[in-house]
Amino acid sequence: MKIKRILTLAIGMAVVAPLAACSAGGSDAADGGGGTVQWWTWDDKQAVSYKKCIAPFEAANPDIKVEISQYAWDDYWTKITTGFVAGTAPDAFQNNVSYYPEYVDQGQLLALDDKIAETKFDLAAIGTGVGAWTYKDDSLYGIPMDWATVGHFYNETYLADAGLTTDDIDTMTWNPKDGGTFDKVVARLTVDANGVRGDEAGFDKSKVAVYGAGSIGTNGLNGQDSWAGFLSTTGWTLGNDANWPTSFEYEAPEFVAAMNYFKSLSDRGFTPREGDFTQGAVEQLGSGKVAMVVGGSWYAPSFNALPGIEVGIAPSVLGDNGKRSGLTNSNANSIWKNGPRIDNAWEWVSFMGSEECQSIAGADGTFFPSIEASMAITEAAMLEQGIDLAPYTAQFADGSLFTTPMFSHGQELGSTIQPMFQGFFNGERGDDVFAEMSEASRQILAD
Amino acid sequence: MTTQLEANKPAGARTRGSKDRSKNRKGAAPTRVTSAANRSDWKLGWLLITPAILGFLVFALYPTLRGIYLSFTDFRVLTPAKWIGLGNYEMLLNDKVFWDSLLTTLYFVFLAVLLGVAISMLTAVILHRVTNSTVIRGLIILPFLISSVVAGVVWSWMLDSQLGIVNLWIESLSGETIRFLSDRAWVIPSLAVITVWKSMGYTTILIFAGLQTIPPQVYEAARTDGANEFQMFRRITLPLLRPITAMVTILTIISAFQVFDIVQVTTKGGPANASNVLQMYIYDKAFGQLDFGYGATMSLALFAMLIVISFTQMRLMRASESDTN
Repeated sequence: MKIKRILTLAIGMAVVAPLAACSAGGSDAADGGGGTVQWWTWDDKQAVSYKKCIAPFEAANPDIKVEISQYAWDDYWTKITTGFVAGTAPDAFQNNVSYYPEYVDQGQLLALDDKIAETKFDLAAIGTGVGAWTYKDDSLYGIPMDWATVGHFYNETYLADAGLTTDDIDTMTWNPKDGGTFDKVVARLTVDANGVRGDEAGFDKSKVAVYGAGSIGTNGLNGQDSWAGFLSTTGWTLGNDANWPTSFEYEAPEFVAAMNYFKSLSDRGFTPREGDFTQGAVEQLGSGKVAMVVGGSWYAPSFNALPGIEVGIAPSVLGDNGKRSGLTNSNANSIWKNGPRIDNAWEWVSFMGSEECQSIAGADGTFFPSIEASMAITEAAMLEQGIDLAPYTAQFADGSLFTTPMFSHGQELGSTIQPMFQGFFNGERGDDVFAEMSEASRQILAD
Repeated sequence: MTTQLEANKPAGARTRGSKDRSKNRKGAAPTRVTSAANRSDWKLGWLLITPAILGFLVFALYPTLRGIYLSFTDFRVLTPAKWIGLGNYEMLLNDKVFWDSLLTTLYFVFLAVLLGVAISMLTAVILHRVTNSTVIRGLIILPFLISSVVAGVVWSWMLDSQLGIVNLWIESLSGETIRFLSDRAWVIPSLAVITVWKSMGYTTILIFAGLQTIPPQVYEAARTDGANEFQMFRRITLPLLRPITAMVTILTIISAFQVFDIVQVTTKGGPANASNVLQMYIYDKAFGQLDFGYGATMSLALFAMLIVISFTQMRLMRASESDTN
């Protein structure tokens, strides 16, 4: 009988314990872990940098504690979404322009206009991104916290070996017809196994030792990390409207010509074929098999850390009209509308958007602050590490950057359009795919 | 041979189609006992299975019923579900990506199951005939213990056509490289091989355990009759292992249908949807595009397919019987 009682007790505990645990988790979620503001980011480096802002913030706001959590990009959005449902989402979080329209539509983000007005937050100090984070209802759903753009990273030794100068690469021109001087630079940088360069007779495209450029095909949605800064120099725009378009202009002749040009680079052996590398731009340049890659400014510290390779940075290409047109966008801090600590979350978000915090965190060079004075600190700190950000800051200063258009259903568009792009660059599909892509974009954007 | 097998059967073993079966059944019919002690055991029995029942209700039955309901709704997860009747099912019938994903999944399942069962069986038989070393058994199961994400990352590096060690070897031998994970023709076979590498340790140990239940006298008798290794494998090992083979095959099929993590880490469904298996598509629709209603519909379709396949397989392989029954 004694054994039976013990068994009964054990089973009872086995049944009750998980329920109790569930209940404990629920109450913890309901009170949100006390007075601690939860802030999430997908960027491990920025998580470390922004942690440095916690001490001065908590000193100025003794009643508020802040906890920063970081999750990798692929898990991040799933966690945020399930957190909204389960009541465990962070009070505030780093947000991306591809995701926020869906969250606004579903009533999860706080419009920040009232808070900005109440606390007299200095929105004018934010140098970029405010337009992109203003939704169709003219409300602001994020305080822009950084900006980024895309340029070229190249192996300085390979450049010298090819007899090219920094000026050659800084002033590359491009057009969809013959590729401008960009084409010549890429051909010159390409070397086959016998040491013959891409612009020399006898070049064997089937035995390439060093590609002049990394693959320029399907990186990033709508060429964000590859061709966007090229095509925009022709005057082509992604959407039929500057923001909230109803169609993407994939059928435009200049777009079709540009895609065929980029495909011809791999057909001629100057860039790897689509999928030759399954690793990213940093690994490609680091392998020594690629002389130059198109890459985001956020990779600058990673390129600089490549062992045994001196990496130079060049701005985006010049168009036929002699002007650059590089893509830029901003991530922002959003507040969960149904969160338990909205006021405290705003205190933290507004502090993160202040010059004080942006300068503290920006000194690490892990992002480009959206406040001009803080950006100057970042630039100086990076220069000390041997990274000259002048190619990017010059483009920012001269206004040769453009903002990617705002649109909803970013995930659905990516899942639908990206395989079609891959089909084209794989050689499975011809030019007819572009009409199909435009039609798909119209159907999705019409919802 | 038949006589020896019959002679080696344990006492009381049933022969399929023989009269013994009915006799045994009759003989084994439980006697109804109504004593107080047994009533108490009955209560304890219920108590013992209560956690399992609760778990089943909360984590299996309720989500399944909820999934069935959601499949008839437009559910964007952050707003209440709207009933749309058969709308999602109509969309499913006309969704080319879904049907392509289904074909991709079936191709993957075919390769993963064929290779998985064949290699596991071969490895288990060799282990059984050659060694009883627990160290070697431990080594065999090692890949199964590695996280799928880690396995996917390591394999994607190894198979990279420009930087991977596998292609380094292939290029040194043939002068060419293979785009294992980015060529339409290669991607599914490559994923199947990675999956088999990852899971074969577990299935090998299952089959190995099954092999140990076969009495050694059976093999001794066969050897006395002059049977060689292949004949013994074909006429003794395979028939006697049928219940285990059926279980392993069904488990492998179900697990292959549910492949997700390795695809997510290595190819994300590419190139051009060539490895967009059903679970990837369902995940993208539900968690990427927040279309949980349609995701539930596709999940239900997969659920129905798995039931039909498992049931058919059980019937075809007579999974509960071995040839000695």
